[in-house]
Amino acid sequence: MIKIKVKCFSQVKYALGENEINLDLENGPTTLDVERIIREKSNGKLDGVSLRIAVNQQYQAEETELQDGDEVAFIPPVQGG
Amino acid sequence: MVKAEIINGPIDFFPSVDNRQQDGAELVFNGRVRATEHGKNITALEYEQYEGMAEAELTQLAEQVMKKFPIHDLFCRHRIGQVDVGETSLHVSIWSKHRKEAIEAMDCFIFELKKRVPIWKWAILSDGTKVPSECEH
Repeated sequence: MIKIKVKCFSQVKYALGENEINLDLENGPTTLDVERIIREKSNGKLDGVSLRIAVNQQYQAEETELQDGDEVAFIPPVQGG
Repeated sequence: MVKAEIINGPIDFFPSVDNRQQDGAELVFNGRVRATEHGKNITALEYEQYEGMAEAELTQLAEQVMKKFPIHDLFCRHRIGQVDVGETSLHVSIWSKHRKEAIEAMDCFIFELKKRVPIWKWAILSDGTKVPSECEH
């Protein structure tokens, strides 16, 4: 069992009503497994929203296996400026 | 030289000084909050950041733009928190020998900033409701 912290921003925060979610996961979870969980929790509110993935504040170009204590963020389209 | 800062509060502009003898161009961009978002009146935008990652990405981007274009300095401040209509949310100053490279570097910097720096806007509507901004410009 490993513990993962998911940080929520913008549309993800709006859809889930949470700033942060802590997950206990088994069987070598990957970023895609966690994305599936987050999308299910949103009850369709994140359908059609593209999400980039960051692990420990680094963008990930590909599916990544997660380690105990990792911080994951699903990053909706950014809007700085 | 690069400066890239996330500021929670009004932005102090970088000073325009008269002692830069190798810089023929000083280009300044101020992004300001408009009064409407998708046709709705707003009173302010609230900027949210991914703390730590936003400033790191902004710094990395500024360094990449410095390498890509022959400019001398790129200084940037991005505000977070509530920014009222008319106020500055983004301030960028670039100094270079000629104007062309400064203009191209500025365009590239802001274009990339809007693609990869984890900062988002929440629109604060006239009735006080706060919703994620739909603006992607």
